[in-house]
Amino acid sequence: MAEHIPIPMADGDSQPFWEGVAQHKLLIQRCGACQQFVFYPRLLCPHCFSDALSWVEAQGTGMIYSYTVVHRAFGPFAGQVPFVVALIELSEGVRMMTRITGDEPAAVRIGAPVRVTFVQADEDVTLPYFQLA
Amino acid sequence: MAAQTMAAPATLLTNDALPLISAAGTRVNEKAMMRAPLTIEEVLNSRWIAEPLHLLDCCLVTDGGGAVVMAAANRARSARKQPVWVLGHGEMLTHYGITNMPDLTVTGAVQSGRAALAMAGVRREEIDVVEIYDSFTITVLLTLEALGFCQPGEGGAFVSNQRTAPGGSFPLNTNGGGLSYTHPGMYGIFLLIEATRQLRGECGPRQVADAKIALAHGTGGVLSSAATIILGRD
Repeated sequence: MAEHIPIPMADGDSQPFWEGVAQHKLLIQRCGACQQFVFYPRLLCPHCFSDALSWVEAQGTGMIYSYTVVHRAFGPFAGQVPFVVALIELSEGVRMMTRITGDEPAAVRIGAPVRVTFVQADEDVTLPYFQLA
Repeated sequence: MAAQTMAAPATLLTNDALPLISAAGTRVNEKAMMRAPLTIEEVLNSRWIAEPLHLLDCCLVTDGGGAVVMAAANRARSARKQPVWVLGHGEMLTHYGITNMPDLTVTGAVQSGRAALAMAGVRREEIDVVEIYDSFTITVLLTLEALGFCQPGEGGAFVSNQRTAPGGSFPLNTNGGGLSYTHPGMYGIFLLIEATRQLRGECGPRQVADAKIALAHGTGGVLSSAATIILGRD
């Protein structure tokens, strides 16, 4: 029997993010006091410590800040190699770790423009991956 | 971070530079798990783990353990073993998750190294032997740059031409490091032990002649916690 991938655990801070993903929306936080965007989800703005954070839908675009092509993986991911794990700098300026989908890892480059795509990673899990734009 | 470093502007680091660190691993420690001579080609031809890191860019997985006895200065002077003094130390935490590392090519060794050197009142050129945590080859290059032994992006050029190999002008990871000696998960204790042994002149064929001052640097978390110590002897 195939192993299932670990299901992301939504908590009080990240619940809106995962609800957004289920509806194929990429939600991040924005600070009402200093107007800066914030990701990962949290209670206080890391820039000015205000608690006036609200949820906004990101454009879903960005660029590859860095990446690796994984050739050795474990558990439920072992059969998926090679796959690309990347840090994306969203157009809003925050970074997000994700996978790059597609059959051409060799085409992945630092600085390459990407856009979000929502992937049904397991029967219960939808994840925000990115693809080359 | 290795991919980011290679893309950084003005970097001299190429894919060929990473293996220099592991290929230069001393291979003169009779207790090391891996002692066979290693060529750059062998590193580059070993299988991918996560690009641009090959198998031989990654530290070992071994058993092992160590201990350090610390004592107050007045007790240390009367100990049977020659004391090695803590001249300075520094710590820095830069982030929690790798996603939030401010710059993938700059580690907290910038601040921890600066603090340790200042406390010790020691200049970089006075340091005789350097022990740097080597989870991966890139960890060493980033640390050398952050500690100021070379400029950002120049780590690859710095370690080339056998400079850090046995007998080279920059004695580095003299026990073979986590890449060839041992790596039981918490390698940091071995940085302290090797630096101490070098200062005591206990290292036999790998002894750095007349070593008086040593620097050891540990990296933890996900390139997130940095600790530097300067050790010296009488």
